[in-house]
Amino acid sequence: MNTEVKTRSAGVSGAETVIRIEGVSQAFGAAGDPRRVVALESASLDITRGELLCLIGPSGCGKSTLLNIVGGLASPTTGRVVIDGQPVRGPSPQKVAFVFQENTLFPWRTVIDNVKLGMAFQGVDKGEREGRAHESLKAVGLAEFAHHYPAQLSGGMKQRAQLARALGLQTEILLMDEPFAALDEQTRMVLGEDLSVLLARTGKTIIFVTHSLVEAVFLADRVAVLTARPGKIKKIINVEEGHPRKSNFMTSPKLGALRNELYALLHDEIRKTMTQRGEGGEHA
Amino acid sequence: MKPQTRIAQRFVQLGVLVAILVAWYWATLPGHVNQLLLPAPLPVFRNFWILFTTSSIWPDLFVTVREWITAFLIASISGCTLGYVISRSAYAVRVFDPLLAGLYSIPAILLFPLYLLFFGLGPGSKIAIGTTIAFFPIVLNTIAGLAYVDKAYITAAKSMGANDFQMFWNVMMPAAFPVVLTGLRLGCIVAFLSILGGETISSLAGLGHRIVSLAENMESAQMFGNILFAVAMAFIINGVVSFAEARGRRGMQ
Amino acid sequence: MTERKGPLMSPGIARLLVILALVLLWEIGARYYADPLFLCPPSQAVGALQHIFADPKIVNAIRVTIYEVVVAFLMSVAVGMSVGLAVGLHGFTKQSILPVILLLYATPQATILPLFVLSFGIGPAAKIAFGVSHGIFPVIVTTVAGVQNLRQPLLTAARSMGANRLQVFNAIIFPHMIPSFFTGMRLGMTSVLLGVLLAELYVSTAGIGFYTRLFAESFSPPDLFALIAVLAAIAVTLNELCRTAERRFSRWHAS
Repeated sequence: MNTEVKTRSAGVSGAETVIRIEGVSQAFGAAGDPRRVVALESASLDITRGELLCLIGPSGCGKSTLLNIVGGLASPTTGRVVIDGQPVRGPSPQKVAFVFQENTLFPWRTVIDNVKLGMAFQGVDKGEREGRAHESLKAVGLAEFAHHYPAQLSGGMKQRAQLARALGLQTEILLMDEPFAALDEQTRMVLGEDLSVLLARTGKTIIFVTHSLVEAVFLADRVAVLTARPGKIKKIINVEEGHPRKSNFMTSPKLGALRNELYALLHDEIRKTMTQRGEGGEHA
Repeated sequence: MKPQTRIAQRFVQLGVLVAILVAWYWATLPGHVNQLLLPAPLPVFRNFWILFTTSSIWPDLFVTVREWITAFLIASISGCTLGYVISRSAYAVRVFDPLLAGLYSIPAILLFPLYLLFFGLGPGSKIAIGTTIAFFPIVLNTIAGLAYVDKAYITAAKSMGANDFQMFWNVMMPAAFPVVLTGLRLGCIVAFLSILGGETISSLAGLGHRIVSLAENMESAQMFGNILFAVAMAFIINGVVSFAEARGRRGMQ
Repeated sequence: MTERKGPLMSPGIARLLVILALVLLWEIGARYYADPLFLCPPSQAVGALQHIFADPKIVNAIRVTIYEVVVAFLMSVAVGMSVGLAVGLHGFTKQSILPVILLLYATPQATILPLFVLSFGIGPAAKIAFGVSHGIFPVIVTTVAGVQNLRQPLLTAARSMGANRLQVFNAIIFPHMIPSFFTGMRLGMTSVLLGVLLAELYVSTAGIGFYTRLFAESFSPPDLFALIAVLAAIAVTLNELCRTAERRFSRWHAS
């Protein structure tokens, strides 16, 4: 992987806001309906250009819902999201790219064809696609697997391929919904480090949803903690540490302290979710 | 499993085959089973061989094959088209899918006398029954394939800005392809079988008709030879079509 | 996904409307545009029902057909289950004999239908035999599959507690087999219907086949429609009975 990196600006010093989440709520079912589920309640958040923000919270707290709303895949019941001054009204493939938890690589196409297809959907010129695809695959370390089929890849490689496809779209914003959740812990750690290096180089704005406390602290500039359902933003924690994050950050006392702080915030919310689950079931 | 076990199983299978042949031969020795009901194995195999080396069966074979291919083509085109149209709306799927599945559970062979009435004794009634019976697995599988594409693929494509045509051509069709292919395989085989059935019941030409005429003329050895031919043909079709399906599936995955 | 209520009616009602619309189309089309020698409107077919049921010979033919189906079905289940159990319970027999059975299952039985009639004559025996010939195979295959799914740990646990063969059978094997038994029954019924009806239609000198040929040759669509409708209704009823039985007795089964 390319080792030339720039250190990203830590924190939110003077940088402009690129995403504005304004009072977003999401409810399923009409008011008064006993089965009504309020997934999100009045979430408001400003995200600055070039920062990596993690959303963390117990199951069903609405973090994936919020991500989908930001990306235009779902409409909020109230509130809105504004990106670069424009309100979000639907998928915005020019500005936002997704990486999902489940495998969304098309199994009937090779890895490189998957990357190129993403660009075709977005509307990239045919001539440009090959070059960009190779670049993206190189950036995630999959250059030799360009002509393999997804079925021939391991879980970690599949997620890298998904990331390559998202990178190929050359969007400013990357939304990642628990992309490493299905992988084993060791693969997660390695991919996390790689992600940090990659994103330091590209300077993208990223919202990253995760369940893992350590992953959140390791990757993020800020971590937004959500409460149990109905999800509200409980607290935002700053992680002041430059990118790319080195592997010694993983074992540093600073990370440990932040992780403990996250745990303290989340513990009650998780308990609440467990008792909630007896009624009504889950809505992510 | 142990290689000895596998060999032992093959032995048993071979043994069964040999036992059948021996029993057959013994049964047809003079004084046992009536030669008209069960001809001796040698004449049967001789007749079977003759069918391959002469062209006596070709006219009937052509009739059957022509009916079969026509029925399959009509069933495929109409089945895939209707399946596609229905799959475009989740509501339409909920309305029509159970309806079609329900119709499928009526023994369609009952329609054959009606087709005889409409189309007469010629190929038309056979094509009609073949089309009718083959239509259902094709349309049902087309609906199942297109309507139940993994939502994850659709969401991902939408997030990347795919328009309707791109979505259909690049996502839905390839995703649905294996299921649709299975439907086509079933339709193809079932078309052949039901046409044989139709020819047996009432027709002027074709493989089934040939067998019936030979039965009526008490030409047992020839009849058995022709039955073997038709059975062999069914197996070959089954094999070829299953192979084609497997190849098609692999090409997509 | 939120349930969309509103202008769309329930699918069940929509389905009924579709059927009604098609019947209406048939009625109008047949009444005003079709040659009465070939096509008749549903109203006439319904009228012909009365005529059909008034003729004792036709009623008898229908009754005999039902009898053939039931007998063939019972025999298929009995023989099919026995063979299925015998083959399925031992790994060796399963691996060696099952392929032979599957080979037979795959043969196009329409080709040997004339043989059955030559051997058994044109009476019910041939049709029952042909029905059994169709029905045993799905029963055998589902029985074998049902036995295969038996989880070894259950059997080991029982034996370790000292159960003898009979107790193991009663307490574990038998209850486990019930869902696949009913599935086999349902599939068997469908196949038996196909076999019996095929045989009946083939034999045009007696039974239902005589009347279908008669009505077709004398160009009486109303009678033909009515007869076919009656047979279809019987087939659907029998199929539904088996399907309901399958649903009811499989409810306790988790998988």
